[in-house]
Amino acid sequence: MKRHIELNTHISGKFNQELENLTNSVLTMGGEVEQQLINTIAAIRENNASIAERVVLNDLKINSMEVQIDDECMRIIAKRNPTAGDLRLIMTVSRATTDIERIGDEICRIAKLVTKDSLPPSELVLSGMLMIAEKVVIMMRGTFDAFARQDERSAVAVYEQDDNIDKNQKELLKQTAIEMKKDPSEMQRWFDVLWAIRSLERIGDRCKNLCEYILFLTYGKDVRHSSMKKTVKKLMK
Amino acid sequence: MLKLFETETLALSELTEKQTAIHVKDFSVWLNNNAVLNKISMRIPKNKITAMIGQSGCGKSTLLSSFNRMNELNQKYAYEGEVLLHGRNIYNKKENVAKLRTQVGMVFQRPNPFPMSIYENVCFGLRIQGETERRMLDDIVEKSLRNAALWDEVKDRLFDSALLLSGGQQQRLVIARALALNPEVLLLDEPTSALDPLTTLHIEELISQLKKSCTVVIVTHNMQQAARVSDYAVFLHQGELIEYSDSDSLFTMPSKKQTEDYITGRYG
Repeated sequence: MKRHIELNTHISGKFNQELENLTNSVLTMGGEVEQQLINTIAAIRENNASIAERVVLNDLKINSMEVQIDDECMRIIAKRNPTAGDLRLIMTVSRATTDIERIGDEICRIAKLVTKDSLPPSELVLSGMLMIAEKVVIMMRGTFDAFARQDERSAVAVYEQDDNIDKNQKELLKQTAIEMKKDPSEMQRWFDVLWAIRSLERIGDRCKNLCEYILFLTYGKDVRHSSMKKTVKKLMK
Repeated sequence: MLKLFETETLALSELTEKQTAIHVKDFSVWLNNNAVLNKISMRIPKNKITAMIGQSGCGKSTLLSSFNRMNELNQKYAYEGEVLLHGRNIYNKKENVAKLRTQVGMVFQRPNPFPMSIYENVCFGLRIQGETERRMLDDIVEKSLRNAALWDEVKDRLFDSALLLSGGQQQRLVIARALALNPEVLLLDEPTSALDPLTTLHIEELISQLKKSCTVVIVTHNMQQAARVSDYAVFLHQGELIEYSDSDSLFTMPSKKQTEDYITGRYG
């Protein structure tokens, strides 16, 4: 049974405020990470090292957000003794921030392609990377929207976008292998490119995790490590 | 660096004299020749909620009632040290104790309304002070009942007996009675231990509203309540102050092992 978690119906007005701030903080962090990826795409497209450096520096801000949100979760658990939906919300927020922070790290790794002057020497691979990155931005945006609205159907739809990203990634890896053979002298650069492609794919996976947390939040069922098809069939008849 | 969450609480070490409501200096108490409090020193911040926790008999209620000299009602009472209320030593010889108790109101564990109407209960203290002007009394009764979150429930039966109210309503009435005197400090000695969980939450919400107008000190056996409601918390054990800090720190990362053992239920 789906249960929408109402944040503003507790007797304690302060508790309402705390939960609302906590949810908003995750969305702020998510927005920040989304912007990081958008800036990284711009840096790659324009081969602009200063934008990329800014992305790498800005990751410190995201790390600090993770610590702050985790501290706040701990504080609320200690002081408010949350139960049921409130507890699920706090657990979701705590798990989600870990994933969002890791997304930040992956974005940093991609941005370093520009700062280390390691962009792929092949136009084909570069455009393939940018295409996946654009899809990842859309997936990320959808994830945070679904979280903000506690919308499990959107979460499932976003979750399914990852298949397409995985498919694109596999094709791109094949293409990259072909290009690598053509130009084996640039092996170090190609390794960096491979890591960056993998990072893009991992961001998709992290978004999938976030979608699973949304289902945990709204249905109270932990759907990690289980088939999404079966979950959907079972929960959303 | 971006700050996601604002905290209202100042570190106790940064507290200035102006931000201090009650300053306890090396305060010791003996009741019936037994030492109950041993050289307690602490500053209670103004317009904040400070909770006192500790086992039964650790001295928290004694410390609380030292703030309006209620302990003196016990004949074999001795003390040493000072308690300053907004900078004034309330244990000086010239202190007007009756006036002090209007400035420092107190609410007890069990609601104790007087056997008279709701209206008369609220304005009881004012009448004793000699206030007779009806309009003034009406205003103060309404304001106090509103501040105690009771007005909407009793506005149509102000002249009914207060004894007809439910336990939660009686407790709020007693709080309204204390508020009518416009106290600077409100002392609450386990104000919700006789109430059901929902009424308890309503009273807690009321307490957190009250800090806008006065300083609140609350004694409670309910650890969760202390955590929920307080800005600062003090842990007492056998008359000693073990730890005193902002309650966010005390309940997440207490600095003393003894406090950690107590709040995690490992004590004894």
